[in-house]
Amino acid sequence: MRRFSGRFRSALIIGVQGIRARKLRTLLSMVSLFLGVLAVVVVQTGASVAQRALLSDIELTSGIDGTAVLDFNSTPESAAVVLDTLKKRPQATGTVALSAIIGEPGVQAINPGGSPFDQNWGPTQVCTPDGTCTVSNEPPGQAIELQLTALTSDVRQFRPFRPQSGNWLDFSTVPALAPRLVLNREAAKGFTEHRVPAEMRLRGATTNMTPQLIGVVDDGDSAPHAYVRMDELAAWLPPAGLADPAVGGYVQILMPANDPVQQVLVSKLQAINASPMITTINSKKDQESQLKMLRLIFLAMAGLVLLIGVAGILNVGLATVGERVEEFALRRAVGTPRALLAGIVLAETLLTGLLTAAAAIGVSALGLKAASMLLGSQTPFLQNVQFPWDAGVAGIIAGLAAGVLGGFIPALRAAGIPIATVMRA
Amino acid sequence: MSALIELDGITKILKGQQEPRTILSGVDLQVHEGHSMAIVGRSGSGKSTLLSILGLFDRPDEGRYLLAGQDITRLPERKAAKLRSSHFGFVFQRFFLLKHLTAAQNVSMALVNGQGWLPRRDRRARVLEALDRVGIAHLAKNRPARMSGGEQQRVAIARALVRNPRILLADEPTGALDTETGTAVIEALLGATTRGCALVLVTHDRDHAARMDRTLDLVDGVLTARVPS
Ligand SMILES: Nc1ncnc2c1ncn2[C@@H]1O[C@H](COP(=O)(O)OP(=O)(O)OP(=O)(O)O)[C@@H](O)[C@H]1O
Ligand SMILES: [Mg+2]
Repeated sequence: MRRFSGRFRSALIIGVQGIRARKLRTLLSMVSLFLGVLAVVVVQTGASVAQRALLSDIELTSGIDGTAVLDFNSTPESAAVVLDTLKKRPQATGTVALSAIIGEPGVQAINPGGSPFDQNWGPTQVCTPDGTCTVSNEPPGQAIELQLTALTSDVRQFRPFRPQSGNWLDFSTVPALAPRLVLNREAAKGFTEHRVPAEMRLRGATTNMTPQLIGVVDDGDSAPHAYVRMDELAAWLPPAGLADPAVGGYVQILMPANDPVQQVLVSKLQAINASPMITTINSKKDQESQLKMLRLIFLAMAGLVLLIGVAGILNVGLATVGERVEEFALRRAVGTPRALLAGIVLAETLLTGLLTAAAAIGVSALGLKAASMLLGSQTPFLQNVQFPWDAGVAGIIAGLAAGVLGGFIPALRAAGIPIATVMRA
Repeated sequence: MSALIELDGITKILKGQQEPRTILSGVDLQVHEGHSMAIVGRSGSGKSTLLSILGLFDRPDEGRYLLAGQDITRLPERKAAKLRSSHFGFVFQRFFLLKHLTAAQNVSMALVNGQGWLPRRDRRARVLEALDRVGIAHLAKNRPARMSGGEQQRVAIARALVRNPRILLADEPTGALDTETGTAVIEALLGATTRGCALVLVTHDRDHAARMDRTLDLVDGVLTARVPS
């Protein structure tokens, strides 16, 4: 142990002396290596940030990992069975998506088809059950079309919407007479930009209703969307009627994987030949396998750039050993073991690699911070983004690996210098 | 008195592309504590080769090498490095100072060699003592570029002495110096023998050789005692 520490400290002293004596050269080595290490760090950072962003979007739009999604052949009868089953089982959430128009009656919506407000999906087509569709010829007016999702219980246990303002739906209270609506960000944008009367029409509903807007969430959807309690909507539209093909409601049930409610629903639906189908969300794994290939391709390219840097270090290292032949022979003459000489050369390139890694990590972290500050307001996934630790580790590994690759051959050369060199010089 | 070093029939054969050439043949030599010895001979006679075998830079092809009674003829390199550090000091014709280091750091180099560890304070004390022994303690912070040849060679001697070696090997240490400076360097080397260190000096200078306890002549790889004239 003592011997080891003596050698280690000797190597450190000699290595630092060597680097200080050749500052410019060390700097040039770092420059040649910098781009390669930076590329590795940037690829890792980009992949991590992108993966995190994609994952959180997927969680918002389809559900967190481990959510079981039940789809089935939706008829008024099967819808009634499902909604009845879920009444006493809030651990599963039944959702029904409907198309709704809020605003002036008898006009074409500002965003026909429920499109995002800066897109135009063309005029609405009105289709009858026999399959003939006609373009609506209503005059344009102050109305907003959006997708309305009715919920039997709190869907946020599966889709973690980010609150933006106001409140989320409270499922514990007595249903309100006027349905309470929570908007997504795009819908909220529409309501602030356009003054529309608070009158909501649903296809299939007998009368128009006056909703209360109580909050805004980020649900990851770029089209306008609103959420409502199923029981508050039921006063206006019987739940079983939601699955009527003429209304176009789309029913889906979200529940924890392996929850007993799954068995109950499946057997009840099978009993009426509704052929239920269950998929379990496993985005992280799916996505990782998708991104893995991409990440590997980019890492391979970064590795190539790194290899060029290694060639640079190797070149400088060999030249340096050539210049230091006499120094190394002399050090051997005064008793420095060959292994230590090799260690010193390797230590110098490793130190160079580590310094380069530190510089590359610093630059990447600063770059990410700058991007987050400059673009964070437009790009939500860059908001408060942290420098991923695995990118830092990758940078350090790249720096060390480059140091070993670039220093190995010079180290062997240094160890092989004959001592008698000092007598024949 | 038993010898510190005893060489017995040392032979060195050079095997190159050409046919093998005998450089040292059957060299017998004894080196005693506190004694000095000059080795003279024509250029190419094998003086440096002999010194490199004495200093464990190289191994003989035949013969026996005893150090303090121990046979070290076939010593592995790792142990040889340790002995070079603990028992030997070397001075060469060229000074081999590292130009990016000060005089003190150049001397300290022999202490920072991975053979044991001395704290910085102890290192500094020993370095200053060694520099003082060769009379240039005041130059401790100078770099080689700002020193004369004689001063540089004395830094090299201090580097050889800093670990208190038992044998000092010097290969033409005055070869690059004028007579007067050379004499001062020889004085510095002889100073070490008063502390019991043995000195083996290879030189072309008869006056310097004459100041040693004895002189040996190397002629075509064969060592012969020279009768003092
Ligand atoms: N590595 C080597 N390759 C080729 N020849 C060598 C080598 N080492 C020594 N020799 C040869 O061995 C012989 C002795 O060399 P050595 O250096 O010992 O002589 P020397 O007595 O020290 O000479 P000088 O007084 O010029 O320093 C020389 O002829 C030299 O050419
Ligand atoms: Mg010679």
